[in-house]
Amino acid sequence: MVAYLLQRLTGLAVVFFLVSIVAFLLMHSIPGGPFDEAQMPLPPAAKANIMRKYGLDQPLHVQYLNYMGNALRGDFGISFSSPSETVIELIGRTWPVSIALGGSTVLIALGGGIVLGILAAIRQNTWLDYIVTFTATLGLTVPNFVVALWMILVFAVQLKWLPIGGWGDDWRQLIMPMVALGLGPMGIAARYTRASLADVFTSDYIRTARAKGLGEYAVVMRHAIKNALIPIITVLGPMVPNLITGTIFVETMFRVPGLGKFFVTSVTDRDYPMIMAVMLLVAGLWGLVYLLTDLLYTVIDPRVKLV
Amino acid sequence: MHDRKKALSRRNFLRAASAGAGLAVLAACGGAPASPQPTTPPATLPPPTTAPTLVPIVEQPTATPAAEPAAAPTTPPAVSSGTINGIALPEDAAPPEQQVYVRYFDNTATFTTIDFMVSVYNGGGNALRDLLSDALIRLDRNFEPQPGAALRWFSNEDATVWTFELDPNLMWNDGTPVTADDYVATFQYSSSPEAAWDFAWYYSAPGAIKNWDKALAGEVPPTEIGVRAEGPHTLIFETETPAPFLPAKLMYSAPLQKKQLEAVGPLYNNKPETSVSSGPYVLKEWRIGERLVYEANPDYKGTNKPYIQKLINIGAKPETFFAGYQAGEVDHVTGEYLTTADNEIIAADPELSQQVRLTTQDFRTDYLFFDCQNPPFNDIRVRQAFSHIVDRDSLIRNIITPTQGIPAYSFLMPGFPGSNSEALSSIQTYDPELARQLLAEAGYEGGANFPKLTLWLRSEPPVRQAVAQAIAATIKQELGIEVEVSNKEFDTFMAALNAKPTQVQFGMVSYGIDYLDPSNMLGVWLSTGRHNWWNQTYDEMVLKASEMLDAEERIKLFQDAERLLVEEAPAVWIYHRTIADLMKPYIKGEALEPNKGGFSGLQWPGISAYSNAISTLYIDNTVTELRSTPPA
Repeated sequence: MVAYLLQRLTGLAVVFFLVSIVAFLLMHSIPGGPFDEAQMPLPPAAKANIMRKYGLDQPLHVQYLNYMGNALRGDFGISFSSPSETVIELIGRTWPVSIALGGSTVLIALGGGIVLGILAAIRQNTWLDYIVTFTATLGLTVPNFVVALWMILVFAVQLKWLPIGGWGDDWRQLIMPMVALGLGPMGIAARYTRASLADVFTSDYIRTARAKGLGEYAVVMRHAIKNALIPIITVLGPMVPNLITGTIFVETMFRVPGLGKFFVTSVTDRDYPMIMAVMLLVAGLWGLVYLLTDLLYTVIDPRVKLV
Repeated sequence: MHDRKKALSRRNFLRAASAGAGLAVLAACGGAPASPQPTTPPATLPPPTTAPTLVPIVEQPTATPAAEPAAAPTTPPAVSSGTINGIALPEDAAPPEQQVYVRYFDNTATFTTIDFMVSVYNGGGNALRDLLSDALIRLDRNFEPQPGAALRWFSNEDATVWTFELDPNLMWNDGTPVTADDYVATFQYSSSPEAAWDFAWYYSAPGAIKNWDKALAGEVPPTEIGVRAEGPHTLIFETETPAPFLPAKLMYSAPLQKKQLEAVGPLYNNKPETSVSSGPYVLKEWRIGERLVYEANPDYKGTNKPYIQKLINIGAKPETFFAGYQAGEVDHVTGEYLTTADNEIIAADPELSQQVRLTTQDFRTDYLFFDCQNPPFNDIRVRQAFSHIVDRDSLIRNIITPTQGIPAYSFLMPGFPGSNSEALSSIQTYDPELARQLLAEAGYEGGANFPKLTLWLRSEPPVRQAVAQAIAATIKQELGIEVEVSNKEFDTFMAALNAKPTQVQFGMVSYGIDYLDPSNMLGVWLSTGRHNWWNQTYDEMVLKASEMLDAEERIKLFQDAERLLVEEAPAVWIYHRTIADLMKPYIKGEALEPNKGGFSGLQWPGISAYSNAISTLYIDNTVTELRSTPPA
């Protein structure tokens, strides 16, 4: 196990390194730079001088080595788009917000989705199943920005039940972003749980369990769920990093001051330090989540061995 | 000249203008309120300011005596239900605690500073900024320059040395006086390469501040630029060439405090603890991306004293601005943030349609442009052919909607100094038959052998994407040329446009003013500008006119240059934008009375140190019907 973990973590470090190179090259290859003239050209000498001041006139590999050298010492630089704080401070300010929103969404959407999926699987082809399937399909197919706008118009503008947006002043501010963020994942969770359970229900050992007279609760909770969980975890695990790093649309729409928007704005602003930071953060999270998912398999299914 | 980037594409900017005594001014964005008024643009736009007297002002007559208390509206409202900071509120004003103005800023736009001299394009979308010190001059609603921090100004004979006499009453709220050194330090900072000021080109030619470009290039230290103090309250600007428009240009001059700039750095205004103000407001709160709050500065000694005691700027996504306005959360939404669908709802709603207020904002013109140095657009007949296939009236009627724009047949919008739109309207007419003929003469009859084109757009919203698609369809239909429309991300577009040689063969883009003088708009088409069209005669005319002191001759030469521009057709003008803001009816003030052009919206540059609107706007006592408690 220890050897396995070491091996995986080494692999993760390599991935990290590769991601840093690819991200670095990609961001420098897109047209435009952080100090480009937005409208009118600057005299070339002036432009060159500005580039020199920021080290952007250096060959790419020198810029990369400088960046990585600093990053390994914990200095990720200062975001061009938020120059009054370091990248670390910026992430420290915004990421907890995204974790809070994303984390509660994970708990409610995935938890709720799994429960709905179980109910639908147990009551297949009943009104309950149809409602769950309908809701899940709706959550999957209606984009979150449509849901967000619709909720704002109905609950904030018309009914005035909920605040139109904001963060940290009122618990009701959490409701709409959570629903907008969570409907899709909840739909996926419900659909996969239902499908996976329905599949397990046709297995011989379930028939055996029922045959020996076990109650339905015990059949489902003790025997079926555990086996149905593996495909569910495979699908749902990777949703977690997405949810806890925030999404630009839901966060900006509901004025949640999270990290999500920087995944987009850092690129449109050519904010190099921030692009690198969020890329590395996401690469690290994904690596960890996959590792955790693999570890979870061994807990759920003793037959799985990590080698 | 800019436009909203990222948020884009619409970040509203200030621009502005004026030509009162003949000077133009510039400004920036901001939005603001207005009073009830028609939803269609005034039938007649203001005539071009005739013969702006761009003569160097040898003694600025409009100067206000230093000691004069300031800023009351020029049509002073009767007094008053109260007094705030020593000024009496208008008779119909709501009580002081209700003197609160709320609007949104775009929480997706980059917003790193509230100081223009630190960054323009990272100044947020629709953010309230430039309120913490007074610019040398400011504009009224007719874009006339008025004394700001400078009470009077004058130049030498050839308009290369300008003297500004500062208001000696101005104080920073840490108790130190505002001096010419603060302005000098600010300009030196903005010209330094370290600042990488994204508006640095602005103080380059025409009328460049002496040594400005050399300082940017690192050839001389910023201390060598032509901005210096002669005593505590006398500020001198020297320019490389005669600059009769310099005072107008110097609207963008709200200074940083030298002391804090040196002690804390250029972002000292990002936190209330380190912020210092000599302007009409002080910074109370700034939660990045979320909320920005100002309160009236009780220690303000200048001439732009506000009635409105609190300005609240809430970060929100532009798609929710209209909903928030309907929900009563904000008092004002700038028209740039309203979609075609929003405008349809507004037009159909009897109440909302009464809250529409029109502005000319930054005199922005949208146009098609070509790479004129390479085939096929190096042939003037091809460009002219394209200039005859844009049916502006139909585009305005069917896509743009009449409140949002007027047809453009030339570059300078009616009302802009030197605009000659009527005389030039017969050149780029809609005439498909003529277009086909010109194309055939150029050897591309029926579009044969013509390369397939890509029409580049700069991060445009749906309405202008639709305009581009309609134009592309017409080109296909009338000229037989395939055009694919490609809406590019902002930075990608600008990098390709500014590349030498340019990478954009055919594009659509807009330009709005930075300062109200033809030298600004027409400068875009100089061979040093952003478009790949070089015409020596045009260059000579514009550069010569820029430096001319005789106002009448000067405008005439600019008009000749614009005629050449329209005839040579490096661009096909499409429409001049008008902006229909939404503003709650309880916002009042002289700034919202119809201006010379008949527009009664809050004109550019809106709520900022660049406008005297601040000293006229107030919340009237009907506010409580719509907003029972003041927003906190």
